[in-house]
Amino acid sequence: MIEKLSAIGGRALEEIEKTSSFESLDQIRVSLLGKKGSLNEVLKGLSGINPEERPVIGAAANEWKRKIEAALEVRKSSLEKVHLEQQLQKEKLDISAPARLAHRGSLHLVTQTVRRMMQIFGRLGFDVTLGPEAETDYLNFEAVNIPADHPARDMQDTFFLGPGVVLRTHTSGVQMRSMLAQKWPVRVLCPGAVYRCDHDATHSPMFHQVEGLWVDKNVRMSDLKGVLQFWARELFGSDTQIRLRPSYFPFVEPGAEVDVSCFRCRVKASDDCKICKGTGWLEVLGAGMVHPRLFEMAGYSGDTEGLSGFAFGIGVERIAMLLHEVPDLRLLFQGDVRFLSQF
Amino acid sequence: MRISWNWLSEWVDLSPIKGPSDLAELLIRRGLEVEQVESLGRGFEKVITAQILERAPHPQADRLSVCSVTLGSGEPLQIVCGAQNMKAGDKVALAQVGASLPNGVKIGESKIRGVLSFGMLCSEQELKLKDTSEGILILPPETQLGLPLADFLGKNDIILHLKVTANRGDCLSHLGIAREVAAALGQKLKKSEPQALQEGNCPVSIHLEAGDLAPQFFGCWIEGVKIGASPDWLVRKLEAIGLRSINNVVDISNWVMLELGHPVHAYDGDEIRGRSVSVRPARKGEELPLLDQKTIQLTGSELVISDAERAIGLAGVMGGGNSEVQLSTHNLFLECAEFDPKLVRQAAGKYQRKTDAAHRFERGIDPADLGHVMSRFASEVVRLAGGRIVGSQWVRGASRAGVAFQRSEIVLGLHEVHDFLGFERDQAPLTLNQVEAYWKGLNCQVVREPGHWRLRPPTYRWDLNIKEDLAEEIARTVGYDQIPATIPPLSSVPTLAVSAISQVTLMDRVKDALVNLGFQESLNYAFTSRDNLERVGLKSSVRLINPLSEEFEWMVPSLLSGLIRNAQENWNHHFGSESLPIRLFELRPVFSAAGPIESSGRMNTGVQESWKLAWAMSGPRMAGGLRADQAGVDFYDLKAVAESLFAELGTRGVRMIPFSASRTGGNPLFHPGKSAEVLAGNAVAGHFGLLHPAISRELKIKGELYLAELDWAQLLKLSRGAFQVPVFKSWSQFPGMERDFALVVKSDVTVDKICQAALKAGKPLIKEAKVFDIYRGSQVAEGMTSIAVRVIFYDETRSIQESEAEAFSSKILDAWKKEFGAELRG
Repeated sequence: MIEKLSAIGGRALEEIEKTSSFESLDQIRVSLLGKKGSLNEVLKGLSGINPEERPVIGAAANEWKRKIEAALEVRKSSLEKVHLEQQLQKEKLDISAPARLAHRGSLHLVTQTVRRMMQIFGRLGFDVTLGPEAETDYLNFEAVNIPADHPARDMQDTFFLGPGVVLRTHTSGVQMRSMLAQKWPVRVLCPGAVYRCDHDATHSPMFHQVEGLWVDKNVRMSDLKGVLQFWARELFGSDTQIRLRPSYFPFVEPGAEVDVSCFRCRVKASDDCKICKGTGWLEVLGAGMVHPRLFEMAGYSGDTEGLSGFAFGIGVERIAMLLHEVPDLRLLFQGDVRFLSQF
Repeated sequence: MRISWNWLSEWVDLSPIKGPSDLAELLIRRGLEVEQVESLGRGFEKVITAQILERAPHPQADRLSVCSVTLGSGEPLQIVCGAQNMKAGDKVALAQVGASLPNGVKIGESKIRGVLSFGMLCSEQELKLKDTSEGILILPPETQLGLPLADFLGKNDIILHLKVTANRGDCLSHLGIAREVAAALGQKLKKSEPQALQEGNCPVSIHLEAGDLAPQFFGCWIEGVKIGASPDWLVRKLEAIGLRSINNVVDISNWVMLELGHPVHAYDGDEIRGRSVSVRPARKGEELPLLDQKTIQLTGSELVISDAERAIGLAGVMGGGNSEVQLSTHNLFLECAEFDPKLVRQAAGKYQRKTDAAHRFERGIDPADLGHVMSRFASEVVRLAGGRIVGSQWVRGASRAGVAFQRSEIVLGLHEVHDFLGFERDQAPLTLNQVEAYWKGLNCQVVREPGHWRLRPPTYRWDLNIKEDLAEEIARTVGYDQIPATIPPLSSVPTLAVSAISQVTLMDRVKDALVNLGFQESLNYAFTSRDNLERVGLKSSVRLINPLSEEFEWMVPSLLSGLIRNAQENWNHHFGSESLPIRLFELRPVFSAAGPIESSGRMNTGVQESWKLAWAMSGPRMAGGLRADQAGVDFYDLKAVAESLFAELGTRGVRMIPFSASRTGGNPLFHPGKSAEVLAGNAVAGHFGLLHPAISRELKIKGELYLAELDWAQLLKLSRGAFQVPVFKSWSQFPGMERDFALVVKSDVTVDKICQAALKAGKPLIKEAKVFDIYRGSQVAEGMTSIAVRVIFYDETRSIQESEAEAFSSKILDAWKKEFGAELRG
């Protein structure tokens, strides 16, 4: 009997090993372990056997049953694996097909540039304030030391909205509003749109400025230089140099035009540099020490001994155009998605 | 302003300066912007005066000649020439081998039809002396040979084009620039100004009748002049700096002004009626014919120069045509005066005559130089136009009378300049002695006393008034590049009364949110044309008085006209069959005025500025993918953006209502049934929806354009604020239970009402009611809508029992039935 069991079991294990489908595996299971399966048939024959041998044979039969069941299980799971492999072989995506893409938005270059500058100056302690774009002649001009009938008015061609009302030509009026609102120290940035009657590839009737004002006791011109140097290096690269040239703006004294070294050709002033046109320098802003007249206009009085300050005004579009190599200022104001989506 | 190197050399020794670009650099470092350095002799190098010795026909060509040309010394040169107007003995301009002419032609040794030519005889056209010319330039017989042609033509000069800032009236002359150069080089001027003209015997009486507006006037009478052409050197001198020669006397007046900086004028003396000249306010309605042949009508606010009967000049601006110097003029009355800068500026502006004289008077002339300017003027007139000085008179008003005019004194501490600029006290590059020397070099009177200086600026330096002005003089003399760089300390805790950091932070946040939603930020001009507004039904109440053009005339009352135009322009250049995705936004102020626009007080303009947040969307929902992903956006995409922004801002209590429920009736820019009004509390905070089909049709917009414009201030009122952070809330540890309903209601029942009714009836167990499907069509009766609603129950402290959910569900269902006649769909 034992031999018979071994023969059935051994053959079964071989068959299971060779089986390659779930159907035949099932058939094997039924033919061996089913009610009429060959293993059961063997066990049914136990009745005619010596009772002493029965437990031995029964145990052997159960052992074979267990082995076969395990083998069936192993074979089944390996078949499943193969089957899944085969299945997966058929389930291929063309991953080169287009993605279901969300739209990609972008901030306007002016916004991006203003933000960068506010971050840089913010690290030095500047706060920020906003003001109206329709401004009084008084705050735009008179209060910042540009009286009526002064030749300095020629420097800024002004749009008028009504008697004594202009579209601000700079955000200096906002600086003045800050000083009117509080005593020193005042450390403030005034970003915003400004307007001048000019329109071509490098002048826009509306453009943006970031003006800065720092008023406190004993502020020195070297402080202005240091702050602008920090700004220039952060914005254009750590080896950027600045150059101050004497100039005139009525609200500052001394006044300066400020150049930064060309961030492309690095003062090598190569003739074919598109950015600096071979000069090695880029004119980027005007600055100076706050004219004491402005403190008077702000109503500062009392302990004003040693009160001083500096101010600067940066044209945002100019910086953005330089950094991003934008050839025509008008592109910034056309809402053309071919332009907007690039940045 | 143009400055000639040669002319400048008359006043200051330029030999320490290497060349024009060094001079330009020196001026730039002192704050005088040099826009251009122009070499008049450019192209004249290697062009020499020469003489034709022989002219012979070219052996191979009838139209050509072979000339033998001498430079006065050395071997004669063989030159082939195509011109016909020359003969042996003529003096000519020879471009030698190596010359590069003003018209760009380069001269080399060449073989012309087999004959060698060692240069070219030049025409005036080739030398760009004239636009056209026939034949070559023949020079006068007395011309010296072998001279550079540039010298012969007076073109051996360098012209600097300067942009002088408005504060530096003293630099609007060669003398003024010479002073700057001398100060920079530590030199003295080469010549001093002439002695003041002796006064007396003036046959014309001079009267100042405008007080401080015309504080002094120097008049001089010259008899027997001969008006004619100026000598060549004067013509060339003026031409070099871009001035056309008129006649000897007018040329002299220009010469004197450009040299000394003080405008002067010559009148035909015999036209001065009553032998009397006064400076007086104009009479209202008075007429004055000007030198430029036009007559102006005066308003009374101007100053005129007048004879006994009539105005003969607009003070400081332009002389009168009725007293103009002409060829027939015999006697001259010369003027050198001082006028109020503002008055001159007003008059020049009002009559659009921004003359060289007005430009200088506006910026301030030297009130102390009338004597020697007149001396120079009169003596040059006599030298070049003949005649004799009969007499002169210098009339001075109270403010210029008595002791010689001088500027007031400025006192400043010995170290103030150092401290202000950021230099170490009394150390290189700025010792006290250096500081003092710099000021003296600028002709300041300096007195050093213990602890401070007393300084008096020169009379022509109107820009020096306060300590800071004097500090600037030092800074630009030592060089701005010498100033150190420091970072100022934060002297106290930063506080700013007018800080906008919260506002700016929220703007940034909203912009970032829109960018994350796929929007591009657009920036449109704040002004546009009336047409642009009208075509979308808008009207502006704020107009520019002096717009650049109609295109930029009206301040925008809404950002939407700009965004609609952006969309259109993008569509216009878009090609192909795919629809273009439009996702644009803008956050900017718009403008309106309820009353008159004029300043009242110092801060108010009468213009109302409100910041708006606007966006526009159209085209496919996704940017990429296949056709199924390319469905166009609709109202609910637009609404999603609005809700995202409300969430971003942390607004509470924003409501959206249909136009049919709006008190204002909505907004005519939008489709009345596919748009929403946004309410912040009771205030209208904006609208969003589909562009009105009538406008769409009018603008020939093919697709659907969805728009939104919200009032920024209203949103901020309901916002949590930039720095109010959300606080933690715990969530239920127990699972909730959900129930779905399919309701059939009349189609005019809105889903928000159904949800609200559920939330009310299901209290306190209901936490959420949401609609997840809406169906109208053949499966439900006409006029009815099927709405699928899901309600969610939970309790934070315990699990919900099945029976409770059932009980609340039927309460909710009852409410729906009662309120809307809703039935469960069968």
